[in-house]
Amino acid sequence: MQRRSFLKGLCAATAAAAAGPVLLSAKEEANAAPQGPNALSYAMAVEAITSGKNITESTKVELIVPEIAENGAVVPVKVNVDHPMEENDYVKAIHVLGKENGNSRCADVMLTPMNGKGYFATRVKLAKTQEVVALVELSDGSFISASKSVKVTIGGCG
Amino acid sequence: MAAEKRRSMIKMKPKKYKVGDTISVDFIIIHPMDTGMQKDKKTGKIKPAKYLDNVTFLLDGKPFTTMKVWETVSTNPYFSVNLKVPGEGEITVEYTDNTGEKGSKSAKLKPKG
Repeated sequence: MQRRSFLKGLCAATAAAAAGPVLLSAKEEANAAPQGPNALSYAMAVEAITSGKNITESTKVELIVPEIAENGAVVPVKVNVDHPMEENDYVKAIHVLGKENGNSRCADVMLTPMNGKGYFATRVKLAKTQEVVALVELSDGSFISASKSVKVTIGGCG
Repeated sequence: MAAEKRRSMIKMKPKKYKVGDTISVDFIIIHPMDTGMQKDKKTGKIKPAKYLDNVTFLLDGKPFTTMKVWETVSTNPYFSVNLKVPGEGEITVEYTDNTGEKGSKSAKLKPKG
């Protein structure tokens, strides 16, 4: 009888000891959630770019991203804007944003009529499955956008 | 010096183009793009942030595309923009990173026909 109770106690103790550190480390991780140097939420980033102006979803903006990204550290992004590039009427800027990233801004590209076409391509990091947004500013000050969701199997940030 | 030369490059697509054509200008650079959130696997310490923040495309000294870039762009970044070829000239890409490192790369623009 004594031996049995002793073993039971031992089992409980080891289980508690094993569970304890796991819980602790999980807590620590949550507390020390890494904050990037420029962490900025999507809403704040949009506010900073548009300063409160309306954004209309448009088919003029063609956003090419993979549906499923196996590696979140390298996600190719292509933006095509079907808009003339003339002296007075051109695509002024293309902003690439990831909604759930710590810092949702990826690149702000200022174009000029010399570009000939509203086009930008790069590769970005995505922390998890999320929507990628292309926010395009035209020379008359209006904003048009397109968004697409990308499934990420392995996160790329941090 | 050889390593310095190979750090970045400018590619024009397609290879043959005429005056008035719209070509794509690609800029590729070897750069760590550290977010400031990753741990170094050897030392266990958090690596300080090091990423490009400004990239400027110039044609004969006149900027035609300026970019503000963040650490969310992938390691060894690649940027591609279009350019309407106005004639012969020189494309220069200038870049700075958040630690103050600067650099530039040039390529000749030679339209044919």
